[in-house]
Amino acid sequence: MSSRRWRESSRTNMSEEQITQLLSTLRQLLPEIPHSHSHKASSAAKVLKQTCNYIKTLHREVDDLSDRLSQLLATIDADSAEAAIIRSLLT
Amino acid sequence: MGLQRCKFSNKNMSIFERKKAIKLSADTAMASARKGLTCWSRALISNRDRPVPTTTRRASSACKKIVKRSRRIRRTAKCGAARKGQITRSIAQCLVRKRTQILKSLIPGGEFMNEVCLIEETLDYITSLRVQVDVMRSLASASARASEPHN
Repeated sequence: MSSRRWRESSRTNMSEEQITQLLSTLRQLLPEIPHSHSHKASSAAKVLKQTCNYIKTLHREVDDLSDRLSQLLATIDADSAEAAIIRSLLT
Repeated sequence: MGLQRCKFSNKNMSIFERKKAIKLSADTAMASARKGLTCWSRALISNRDRPVPTTTRRASSACKKIVKRSRRIRRTAKCGAARKGQITRSIAQCLVRKRTQILKSLIPGGEFMNEVCLIEETLDYITSLRVQVDVMRSLASASARASEPHN
């Protein structure tokens, strides 16, 4: 019984360590916050908040670019030379 | 390839329909590039035709209420440092739980992942999203140059 508990707790410790390591990798991927004065490790809650905000920002950028592309592509004649160039970019 | 098919297939598409098609193609291309190696890419491709659920604000407003309540408790409590530490720890745990839920709603297929898998998938998803933004930006500037009148 005690060995099972030890196994469970060592498994929990391993995944906590794994999570900490993954969170620090995630922290490096996020954009720098200009007003952040703290150089010590950010808490898990802060990293998660920044991650969620960054993903929402990226989604908004994709949305805006889709908007822009749909307007630009509407103005290009499908048979023109420019359209052929863009087609070649995509293949 | 998906973009090309959608762009030139229907000249009578409205701007809104074209935008939807472009976004769908971009997401499909991004997911396909992962060749089924990640959960989020498989979920994105299989959820393509389903409406995307909107994230609720309930999680973040519930969290704000908990933080406000705890600030009130800290101001009025005459207890020792140990109790305050306990409150701080439970607030942190609550915040982590709520924000993990929000992250799960942002990553395709996230609601089925455990914590380790969620963070690994998030790392991959963010990298892919950045590439998607770069590609779309290049396409947009190429299209803008193409639609400029020749001198």
